[in-house]
Amino acid sequence: MNHLYLKGIEKGYYHSDSDSFELNIPQLTIQEGELFALLGPSGCGKTTLLKVVAGLLEPDRGEVWLGDQTISKIPTEKRGLGMVFQQALLFPHMTVEANVAFGLKMQGISKGVRLEKAKSMLKAVGLSGFGDRFPAELSGGQQQRVSLARALVTCPQVLLLDEPFSSLDPELREEMRDLLKGLQQDYKLTTLLVTHDVNEAFVLADKIGIMKQGRIMQIDQPQILYENPNSPEIAMFLGAKNVIYGQLSQGVFQSGSFKLAVPGKEEFNQQPGWIVLRSENLKLCPVPASTKFSQINRDLILRGSVEKSVFSQGSYHVTVQMDSQSVILSFPADQSSKPGLGEVLELTYDPQALVFIPEY
Amino acid sequence: MEKLTMKGLRHYLGFPMGLLLTFTMALPIIALLVNSLSFGWRWPDLFPQALTNRAWSYVLSTTSGTYASVGLSLEIALVVTIINLVLGMPGAYALARYNFRGKLLVEGIVYAPIIVPAFASTMGIQMTFLRLGLTESVLGVILAHLAPTLPYMVRALIISFQTLNPSLEDQARTLGAGWWQCFWQISLPHLVPGIVAGASLSILISLSQYLITFLIGGGQVVTLPLLMFPFINGGDLAIGSAYAVLFSGMAGLALYAMSWVLKHYYGKRLDFHI
Repeated sequence: MNHLYLKGIEKGYYHSDSDSFELNIPQLTIQEGELFALLGPSGCGKTTLLKVVAGLLEPDRGEVWLGDQTISKIPTEKRGLGMVFQQALLFPHMTVEANVAFGLKMQGISKGVRLEKAKSMLKAVGLSGFGDRFPAELSGGQQQRVSLARALVTCPQVLLLDEPFSSLDPELREEMRDLLKGLQQDYKLTTLLVTHDVNEAFVLADKIGIMKQGRIMQIDQPQILYENPNSPEIAMFLGAKNVIYGQLSQGVFQSGSFKLAVPGKEEFNQQPGWIVLRSENLKLCPVPASTKFSQINRDLILRGSVEKSVFSQGSYHVTVQMDSQSVILSFPADQSSKPGLGEVLELTYDPQALVFIPEY
Repeated sequence: MEKLTMKGLRHYLGFPMGLLLTFTMALPIIALLVNSLSFGWRWPDLFPQALTNRAWSYVLSTTSGTYASVGLSLEIALVVTIINLVLGMPGAYALARYNFRGKLLVEGIVYAPIIVPAFASTMGIQMTFLRLGLTESVLGVILAHLAPTLPYMVRALIISFQTLNPSLEDQARTLGAGWWQCFWQISLPHLVPGIVAGASLSILISLSQYLITFLIGGGQVVTLPLLMFPFINGGDLAIGSAYAVLFSGMAGLALYAMSWVLKHYYGKRLDFHI
């Protein structure tokens, strides 16, 4: 068993009054072979947590377990972890091959064996023939590949990734994600990835933990997390545009004069909370709702005027003002022409896809 | 008219500037050489009236003590530099990496010998060494030479440490490198330029010490400057000139040898490092 288990980790940071926080992780388990992403804005303590796991920082309290033994007292170099940082951090005075073989050299593996392993690892990251070059001769993406190869060649028990792709171009980032996911699955590596990139976490992770101000707010599989955020902050962080505060009573959510039908939530009575109305859940009514041909339930129709209309990457993102509430919806640009300002739109939504987050 | 660009400027001024530089550097040496070979070169003669190898045959003779003093000078400079490295490395590391109470004071004390006049501190050192029985010994001279040389070594090493990314060491540790391996494999190669700079200064300053060596050594520790001084100071200018040329050669060679050894050693490691 090689699962990673954190227990009662606490680490305080007190730079100044405004810039102090406390890392507090009561417990966290990362299953063997799982890719776990810690997702949070910068400064939320996720890198600190990673360094605690690596042993580069000592926590004030708490323990790190690997399998059935604690590694808290073991120094970094004996923990048998692999780590890739935001920068490639290749050793500038060594060739690419020597960089990759460095970890094996530290393990005392003979020169022939470690060179062979380094070569095959370089091949796995698509850099055969680059072994004799020096790091300065490589591009940023190539350097980060070498860094990944260097971390993987020692067959670490756990792979720690600290925003490894955030300094790369978007295109390259995607390529590296595919490479990482492939290698991680091939080697069945228990992986802890730290990132502030929502998309990256969703593409790569088997499980995501949302972090904020030193605490993990919610842990779940990506889709479950997306569909059932347990706080309005998480919903917004994961990209929900319309998170509206109001009251849910007998299947009807109300915020001022804005009303939504929320079937299947009849158990709530005068329950304050937030409704998550995703912009892709809102649709334009194809036929004016007033005509008798309309098939749409009249309760599910929202009417408002266009306040702002933006074209971006094949979609329109339109802000619609209705009574006291404005909502944002997105739809493919080829569906219709760009809505003009002030134009009155009729929208409908799928009530089953609404998410209600009660306030306690 | 041609535009006056940097390139054009370099083109027009390059040659005269180079000539000027060569003359200012080479002329004193040439003058010394000529002087060392001349027989009574006095004003108002533009050139010496006769040439002789008298000065050089004295300087290079076994009875003059030249060889012993060259050896002693180099030995002292080498030991001083090694001690400086051993002392300076951890000191520079701490000063570059950590912020602690009284850091400014520590820096002040380290740099003090090059700010306070050497004569003042040397008098104090001499009093102390007299009590400790360290005067008139090579060991005493070596210890006294540390004061004016250590600041330069520490300064050079601090700058080197400041440009070394601490994350590189973190990365090495995650790859299984212990403290010593981190230092030996990762930090030290990065520090080589700083070590070369610090060691060069340390060697040069130690070689050219006269006052400290004279006071602490009590005239018993005869390094090359001590041997040379009486001749320059009115004794025999031809022999003094020969010693001056010899001294320049010794210092230049010592510098060259040191940087060659360091660069060659690390250059090799750079190529065949696996």
